[in-house]
Amino acid sequence: MSIFNRHCVALQILIIVFALLSSGCAPIPRPTGAESAVRPFTIGAIPDQDPEKLQRLYGKLADYLSAELGVPVVYKPVTDYTASVTAFSIGDLDMVWFGGLTGVQARLQTPGAEAIVQRDIDANFHSVFIANVASGLTPFEDISGLTQLKGHTFTFGSESSTSGRLMPQYFLSLAGVKLEDFKGELGFSGSHDATIKLVEAGAYEAGALNEQVWNSRVASGEVDTEKVIVLWRTPAYYDYHWVIRKDVEERFGEGFIGRVRDAFLKLDANVPEHKEILDLFGAERFIPTESANYAQIEAVAREIGKIK
Amino acid sequence: MAQVSEIRRPNSTALPARPALLNGRSLWLLLLLLAIAWSLGQASVFGREIVNPGGWPLLLRFLHSSVRPDLSQEFLMLTFNAALITLGYAVCGVALSTLLGLLGGVLMSEVWWKALRTSRREKEDHHAPWLMARSVFAIPRAIHEVIWGLFFVNILGLTPLTAILAIAIPFGAITAKVFSEILDETPRRPMEALLHGGASPAKAMLYGLFPLAFPNVLSYTFYRLECSIRSSTILGLIGAGGLGYELLLSLQSLRYEQMWTLLYALFALNGATDYWSGLLRRRLGAVGRIELHMTHVARQPQHAPRQDIVVRASLTAAIALLVFSLWYVRPNPGQLLAPHTIERLVVVAGNSFPPDFMEQGSVLLRLSLQTLAMSILAMTFAGVTGVVLSFLAARNFLAPGGILLPADALWGWRLFSGGMLLLTRAMLLIARSIPPPIWALVLLFVLFPGLLPGALALGVYTMGILGRLMAEAVENLDERPLRALKAQGAPGPHVFLYAALPSTLPDYVAYILYRWEVTIRETVVVGLVGAGGLGRLLTEQLSNFDYRGVTATLICYLALTILVDLLSATVRRLLR
Amino acid sequence: MEDVQSLHGASADATPFADAPPVFELINVSHCFGDLIALRNINLRIGPGERVALVGPSGAGKSTLLNLLNGSLRPSAGVVRALGFDLAQLSPRALRQVQRQIGVVYQQFHLVDNLRVIHNVNAGALGRWSFLKAAWSLIWPQEVERAAQALAQVGILEKLYARTDQLSGGQQQRVALARVLVQDPVAILADEPISNLDPERGREIMDLLFRLSEKMRKTLVVSLHTIEYAYTHCHRIIGLREGGVLFDAPPAEVTPDMVRTLYRIAKE
Repeated sequence: MSIFNRHCVALQILIIVFALLSSGCAPIPRPTGAESAVRPFTIGAIPDQDPEKLQRLYGKLADYLSAELGVPVVYKPVTDYTASVTAFSIGDLDMVWFGGLTGVQARLQTPGAEAIVQRDIDANFHSVFIANVASGLTPFEDISGLTQLKGHTFTFGSESSTSGRLMPQYFLSLAGVKLEDFKGELGFSGSHDATIKLVEAGAYEAGALNEQVWNSRVASGEVDTEKVIVLWRTPAYYDYHWVIRKDVEERFGEGFIGRVRDAFLKLDANVPEHKEILDLFGAERFIPTESANYAQIEAVAREIGKIK
Repeated sequence: MAQVSEIRRPNSTALPARPALLNGRSLWLLLLLLAIAWSLGQASVFGREIVNPGGWPLLLRFLHSSVRPDLSQEFLMLTFNAALITLGYAVCGVALSTLLGLLGGVLMSEVWWKALRTSRREKEDHHAPWLMARSVFAIPRAIHEVIWGLFFVNILGLTPLTAILAIAIPFGAITAKVFSEILDETPRRPMEALLHGGASPAKAMLYGLFPLAFPNVLSYTFYRLECSIRSSTILGLIGAGGLGYELLLSLQSLRYEQMWTLLYALFALNGATDYWSGLLRRRLGAVGRIELHMTHVARQPQHAPRQDIVVRASLTAAIALLVFSLWYVRPNPGQLLAPHTIERLVVVAGNSFPPDFMEQGSVLLRLSLQTLAMSILAMTFAGVTGVVLSFLAARNFLAPGGILLPADALWGWRLFSGGMLLLTRAMLLIARSIPPPIWALVLLFVLFPGLLPGALALGVYTMGILGRLMAEAVENLDERPLRALKAQGAPGPHVFLYAALPSTLPDYVAYILYRWEVTIRETVVVGLVGAGGLGRLLTEQLSNFDYRGVTATLICYLALTILVDLLSATVRRLLR
Repeated sequence: MEDVQSLHGASADATPFADAPPVFELINVSHCFGDLIALRNINLRIGPGERVALVGPSGAGKSTLLNLLNGSLRPSAGVVRALGFDLAQLSPRALRQVQRQIGVVYQQFHLVDNLRVIHNVNAGALGRWSFLKAAWSLIWPQEVERAAQALAQVGILEKLYARTDQLSGGQQQRVALARVLVQDPVAILADEPISNLDPERGREIMDLLFRLSEKMRKTLVVSLHTIEYAYTHCHRIIGLREGGVLFDAPPAEVTPDMVRTLYRIAKE
């Protein structure tokens, strides 16, 4: 039985592996665990732009809020729109910078959550339809011009983007263009920047995106305007806003939501540190908003099937 | 076929009838060709532009960035941490799946139930518990890690535990199946001796069977680690963090220099793991990895593992790595039993049933067919390129000292063929290191959107895996028939055609079929980046929080998976 | 060292080998595998139509010698000529031309198991066939008549379309013989062709091998583990021991004493 004996040592090693494994499975102290004294005020954002910029932006904001509110604030990055809604609704995130649609979805899944503030531009937001010049598409003034897009390839941004999908799809349907009218498979590029690049490369002849992102990319010379042109600018609608969970008041005290709102409203373009944050957000200032402002978005979302 | 008789008729001049060109095998071949044509049609390859010339500058810019990756200290730190996270999830996932696999492997093995019977002195067979164990483990296996990941995100949120469980559950089910096969094929006499000596079944198995099965179990566990690194990267794409996550971010924000830094880290991580696992496998008696999937377990190792320094060092390193990984990613298993989690599970379950087929009825059917077509195209591409590359990547063929390289080849030719070997191996490593969704996004630079980029992305990725498996098969090939043909003056290409190809082809076909079963599950991954098929619909439904629709789509996936498994098993049996 | 001139003319059907230019010629050939000396200083001439048995214990260098004869191996020292060509001096292409004239039968048959018999037999013709013809033949077998004829000669015509791995060992060796027949070489080398077969099957194969080489006037060099067939079937027996030629003589001159010396356990 020599083989048997030789293998016994190997077996012992195996047992040690599992012993270690099972001990490893015992609860390990976790900085964010429920048992630790106060879980920091955790903020997040839908990943609609260059993540590195988001990291910089929200890092600064977290520092500012922490100083204003006197509680620890951390920013937790999320990779996709859906995940940010889920993370908010299960309480991993206390306050999130949502788009119009994701904000509605999040509030529907999270009783008591409410929209509190948004940028000055968000109350009057636009999308743009863009096209590769090689497609032969030309700019138009009236919504009916969207029918031009029939028979061309087309991409949205993320599935859950308000400015990159929901509202463009809504205006397309108003103009009588169905999603099946496009040539080939309809695209979802994943982000506004990707939409620009894919249309610029000609992978899709046309696309729709957030006007603010478009303007900032054009201003910084990142778009080849010889190749990509704006076809049409949509009418205005409400978009991005901060949504906060109700239970933060249990952790940080009564009136906390109000203090958060005030901290945003206090941001002043004349104060250099404030201006930096406002610039990163692409805003002059923040303004109060309320959940009711998003009734139109909700209606459109239900019509399109984004909300059941 | 031929009757095995010893009757010889030396004087008989009647020629045996030429077998019909249309037989069982050629019929399957014909069916395959039709399926490929149909799949190409589904991808609307015919009568449509495929390559988008406008995308070349973007692709060139991407490729050009490969020579100037972002090497700033800050980004290198980020890459290093991301690599550790990917590794950590993979190691924890494999450890947990091995635990599940051992438990399930015992329950699924015939030998366990037999031992139980022997010790209870029962006469008749109990198939019921054995069959039940087998079917319980069949379902988690059919569902891709990413879907498990999306499920756990909804229950647990974006925590390390989500990534670990997403790997451990499907891997655990696969591992259980393979372990049960290993246990069943391990010699039973020592265990039976203990049983008859009055030891309990558990003890008899622990002391009489496990030690003998250990080398194969260990070999397979390390193979799973290779797979786990790839899965962990893919899970990163859905937000679990690590290299996959950073890759997607850098690609979406068009920072190619950073993307290349991450890619190089990914190649290094995959290359090191594959090398380690391959080395260990050779030391443990060269168990072909895929053989373990193919129900016949390889021979016993040459050396006792204990005596081999590599095996001992590997075990120690693996334990250290596991401890480090647990410390680094800090999963919180307590979360599993938290009231919050159970509450959430009830909500998700409530929202998910009954499945909603109505709303998307015809769409589901169309997309299921598309998904099938995508998997067929992917496998066709991976199969053809894999066969070609495997011969170039095998050490014993065209490489210096190989069978088909003339012994007196000029040094220039030797250098070239040696270079080819390294190049193909590097190509295969790159192909399998980059997750399919990233391949799809890169391919979208130059291909018009549709099924094709998705199929190609899966194809390239699978090629990397198949090519390596096949190169191993070529290296284990019986070279004697080749040398015989070479000795009678047949030129290299002829030798390849009449000896190398026919002796490896059955293995290849079996590998391709086995991999097809995996690929049909993996179509979901490229669907997430919009490459079409059911994965596309699933993404949309998830973004709508339409869980009943999600359930319906998942049922379609399950049906497709079962269909492909059945087809693959049928054809494999035919070839045996 | 025995000289080739000692070739006899005793056998009735023997040709005057010594006069014709040799098919194989070894001059001062030695071969080493690393530190191991497999053959030392061998000198041999084998004439056309001659049937030569190589006998000796395992490890005596029989397989190495055969591998040198068809150019699969290059000698570490000395010259190996086959059909008048110095094999070491040939380009790969020219070497293949010579190898086409040398057929080999192996102990382990060396067939491709999962091909049909016809393809294994046709593999003998690969040296003559174009790549396209070879490829097409795998789908629609070519030159079936010729393959069938070869199989009929070895007595298993009915296995023409059978899968090779479904044949018994004896039948597989017959397929290997048929492959050599299709190749139609000048000389046949057989490396312990019957060691893997039972005695009865072994005798059949040896009879067949000798009959075929006799009928077609092919040179035959066969290595054998035991000496009995060498006595009955060959013109000449070469005893190899520890890499050297112990004796090289017609069967009639090989005494039991010489054989005993050949197989004696090494001293010490």
